Amino acid sequence: MIISRQEQLAIASRALAMRGDVLRMVKASGAGHMGGALSAADLMAVLFFRVLHLDPANPRMENRDRFVLSAGHKCLILYAALAERGFFPKELFDSYGALDSHLPGHPSMAKLPGVEANTGSLGHGLSIAAGMAMGLRFAASPAKVFTLMGDGELAEGSNWEAAAAASQHRLDTLTAIVDRNRLQIGGKTTDVMSYEPLEERWASFGWSVRRIDGHDISAIASAFDALPFEKGKPSVIIADTIKSKGFSFAENKAAYHYWKATAEEIGLAEADLEKAESELAAMAGGLL
Amino acid sequence: MKRIGMLSKKAFAESRAPIKCFGDALLEAGREFPRIVAVSTDSSSGSGLTPFKQAFPDRHVEFGIMEQGALGYCAGMATTGVIPFYVAIAPFVTARPFEMFKNDLGYMNQNVKVVGRCCGLTYSQLGPTHHSIDDVALLRTIPGVTILSPGDPVSIVKATEALARTEGPAYMRIGSPNMPVLYDEDLPFEIGKGILVRDGKDLCLIGSGTALASTVKAADILEARGISVRVIDIHTIKPLDEDIILEAARDIGKIVTVEEHFVNGGLGSAIAQLLSQRLPTPMKIIGVEDHFVSNGPYNALLGMNGLLPEQIAATAVSFLSGI
Repeated sequence: MIISRQEQLAIASRALAMRGDVLRMVKASGAGHMGGALSAADLMAVLFFRVLHLDPANPRMENRDRFVLSAGHKCLILYAALAERGFFPKELFDSYGALDSHLPGHPSMAKLPGVEANTGSLGHGLSIAAGMAMGLRFAASPAKVFTLMGDGELAEGSNWEAAAAASQHRLDTLTAIVDRNRLQIGGKTTDVMSYEPLEERWASFGWSVRRIDGHDISAIASAFDALPFEKGKPSVIIADTIKSKGFSFAENKAAYHYWKATAEEIGLAEADLEKAESELAAMAGGLL
Repeated sequence: MKRIGMLSKKAFAESRAPIKCFGDALLEAGREFPRIVAVSTDSSSGSGLTPFKQAFPDRHVEFGIMEQGALGYCAGMATTGVIPFYVAIAPFVTARPFEMFKNDLGYMNQNVKVVGRCCGLTYSQLGPTHHSIDDVALLRTIPGVTILSPGDPVSIVKATEALARTEGPAYMRIGSPNMPVLYDEDLPFEIGKGILVRDGKDLCLIGSGTALASTVKAADILEARGISVRVIDIHTIKPLDEDIILEAARDIGKIVTVEEHFVNGGLGSAIAQLLSQRLPTPMKIIGVEDHFVSNGPYNALLGMNGLLPEQIAATAVSFLSGI
């Protein structure tokens, strides 16, 4: 099913709103893991507004699709997606960073509906997601499982244990999405600890691989529409992205992995969002 | 005379293999609970899973030598309602994947049962990499994790049944050499409730798991020397049965604990933590002191660490004389 121009624009509009939500949370607490949240914004918008079978009114619905944020520090974009999808009121954004907030610095199942796993320590999400796929297969459920990983995260060896087992057990309802923004706290992933070429590594672990532009809504939708890429194999989408995508002053800068926002930077971010909104409105014409 | 305590009249008459007892009990539990899935990491037959695998071939998952990944998979399966029973060599399901235990099972509060076999010094000849004498200390730090250390073949079966029935993350440690049967088959077993093995008034010996039978034998030795000993089996190290321990502290006031584990952080440590704050009581903690244990025959290693019955009795006498 080819995504319509109207749907592309609607999802782009959601992605933009989610970037605004991220900014709102950072403003509330003064800081947050912004860079990787924004690189994943477009992927998350397509997942939550086209792909995932969910019911915000019944977050534990039996045959819901599962989404596990393996790179738990990107939680700002998960919170944005869940709120935009109607899982909780946006007023909660203003509690980010507050004592006992439902929006901790890494997601917690007990604190927020729609969170499927307690991540934050890297290298856990793929095993958990794959276990979910295995459990759902025992129950003959049609539900699919998705996990979003960072590219820096792939240096954790536990991921490769999980990857091998997913292939061995033919978990073709499992999809991993690697947000390849090519930066981690210490600099370029290829300088810090390279796991490139990712495509070949994943393929050699028995996964079916597709590489896309992680900011092209149409390309993202096409990739998800084609799942599983091969019957009997888990699928991985290697998404090329730009760290801090959408905030021009921070794009492609490792220093904004964790952003301690200054007033000036917040002003720049707000200006970027306004500009993007008017561009999107012009592009949409009467479509939205 | 009415028997006081749960020790069987036929105690020590028979020995059974603990891993086989667990495997047979899991088969029974598997019949009652269709959601139980057995998980192994390249050691399913050595872990007693053969009967379960034969009965339910579709309910066994093999992961190869992959203990970190396996725990995460277990957590993920549990979120969907599966009840994973993951059994492998004790150090490799506790110390090695500790962070997966903490986050994926503990923090996520998932209904996963982990069984560490060949715990303690069982793998005596293989040295410290295969000794598991820190598992209780490590897992005690994880909120909400139940820790079982059953001390005879009957209680291993009862503990396995209880695990299948009880929600939440749990760990059970069992040894490998044959264990003497201490209890009758009608033993009442409840997670979190210690067992009064036999009563006495001069000293209380508290044992657990693979050290329980030696604790009972030590009590026999002491009784023969005119010292009346209460023996308590703490098969659940967490949550600890505070009542039975505080009662012993009140009634007797002298406590010796025995465990095949480091003295750092194990059963004795948990009991000392309780008593030091609630009812300070003279105590002696018998276990492995702060050193790596050598390699060699199992009984020789137990003897190097004061865990043989005669040694336990001697330590108890010296403790009593020093108070």
